[in-house]
Amino acid sequence: MGQKMLELINVSAGYNGTDVVKNVSLAVNAGENLSIIGPNGCGKTTLLKAVANILPYRGEIALDGKPTRKLKQREISRKIAMLSQNSGAYFSYTVYDTVMMGRYLHIKDRLLGLPSSGDKDFVLECLKTADLLDVKDREITRLSGGQLQRVFLAQVLAQDPAVILLDEPTNHLDLKFQIELVEYLKQWASQWGRAVVGVMHDINLALRLSARLLVMKGGGVSAYGNADEIMTGGLLENTYGIDVAGYMRELLAVWENVK
Amino acid sequence: MKTKIIVTAAAALAALILGVAVGSVYIPPGDILRIIAHMVFGARLPEEISATSAAILWNLRLPRALLAFVAGAALSVSGAVMQSVLRNPLASSYTIGVSSGASLGACLVLLYGAALPMPAMLTLPVFGFAFGLGTILLAVAFASGIDSRMENNTIILAGMVFSLFVNAVTTLLMAMSGEYMNRLIYWQMGSFAMKDWHTLYILVPLTIIGALFAVRCNRELDMMTFGEEQAKTMGVSLKRVKWALLICASLLTGGTIAFVGVIGFVDLVAPHIVRRIFGPSHRYVIPLSALLGGAFMVICDLAARTVVSPSELPVGAVTALVGAPFFAYVYFAKRKA
Repeated sequence: MGQKMLELINVSAGYNGTDVVKNVSLAVNAGENLSIIGPNGCGKTTLLKAVANILPYRGEIALDGKPTRKLKQREISRKIAMLSQNSGAYFSYTVYDTVMMGRYLHIKDRLLGLPSSGDKDFVLECLKTADLLDVKDREITRLSGGQLQRVFLAQVLAQDPAVILLDEPTNHLDLKFQIELVEYLKQWASQWGRAVVGVMHDINLALRLSARLLVMKGGGVSAYGNADEIMTGGLLENTYGIDVAGYMRELLAVWENVK
Repeated sequence: MKTKIIVTAAAALAALILGVAVGSVYIPPGDILRIIAHMVFGARLPEEISATSAAILWNLRLPRALLAFVAGAALSVSGAVMQSVLRNPLASSYTIGVSSGASLGACLVLLYGAALPMPAMLTLPVFGFAFGLGTILLAVAFASGIDSRMENNTIILAGMVFSLFVNAVTTLLMAMSGEYMNRLIYWQMGSFAMKDWHTLYILVPLTIIGALFAVRCNRELDMMTFGEEQAKTMGVSLKRVKWALLICASLLTGGTIAFVGVIGFVDLVAPHIVRRIFGPSHRYVIPLSALLGGAFMVICDLAARTVVSPSELPVGAVTALVGAPFFAYVYFAKRKA
């Protein structure tokens, strides 16, 4: 177990005075990940936005023991990066230029913002990780949804944060990349003593990303802890309103017949 | 990229020379240089150049062409900044009220003889500028009051509400005292006629400072085109940068239209064409929009004063007449491909 990297104590957040997230507490240690699951509209994305400091919140969010409320945005962004679910391409930047934007806080040239050779190497490494080297000079408006998703993943990696927040990271990705992404992030977190907090729709991928699970419903926490301790058929049925475990077993039976 | 930049710079210089050379009296480019050398460095004027030519060039053509260039550059930079900050291809300082405010200011001066303790030639620009900037500041402050995150749609809508309201006030004032209406309409159409070096002394530093600030913010502008949340999570101090850029764009537009009237279209067209040719990075978009917008304005003004010479067309109409088909060609021809 590493040190406590990210801690939330009774965090509530929402829009126009209405709380969407209510009194959520959690802690993530260095080198470990956390998956957040729950039905649509239960406040998962809102929670991530509060952690990234793009939504106002009540309660306490601490980063390496320091309350983020006292930090400037650039100090928070040095530590926390977020891969959002609805990033889009508005202008036709190249893949390379888009990923380079992730180096914003690292680039030392404050006047024109020209990257150093170290920044360039770092970006190439991120492009390689996201398997984008072949298309690095292509305009992002000409990419498929999955490729664009990987561009934003590379951008998040280029930010070189301590904590990555993922909001539905596997949207648009094919099966191979979904699995590769999760495996890569696990390794990224454990190797460098960092952490990934991922909002996942796919429960199987959630379990693959982390042993620990936060289950949300109606803005609050309905269960939190190690998956093998807290996850029961009853919990999932209560959360999603269908017999999730039964459905998975049915699927399993189908797969057993696949030759 | 380098070649493209050099070609653009050369074209801009050519436009400027053309704008100075052509008129009721043609002055060859060589003579232009000699006259400038004579006026600036005190070099001897060759005998074949008449004093009249020199006077025409120095007192009329050169300040006028330079003013057109600077105005075009300022409006284009402002347009580029607004489009990116508000993430809207049609956004400009005009959309959020600078021209309506400036028109109201001009209206008050023309109709009620509002005066300040300053030279008379400055009264109209100063009022126009103050009211233009005031309208935008009110709109943005209003937007930030009702929406603490200051989202783009809120700003655009607040700007439109203020803009329409101020326009209505101007229309009412005009309707109530018809005799000055023509002067106000003439002012609103925009013109570079009857301007001298003094206007340049104010507009040149303003434009340079504004454009340099925009270039300085090139990376923030790049990131803001991906949306505010993404820019913020990457470390941009969003609210502060957004305010600063909105004010920078408004100063550029407000300062320009205060002196030369409302000239539309160049702020919309120039940045789009630059992005088509040079890509969307603001490191290039800002300076090249200034070059291209400046050159475009010089050519439009040249057309405005020569096509129906000796009378003049309103340059605002020419920018749209020349710009619209050209823009349609550049924008849609490439999209079709």
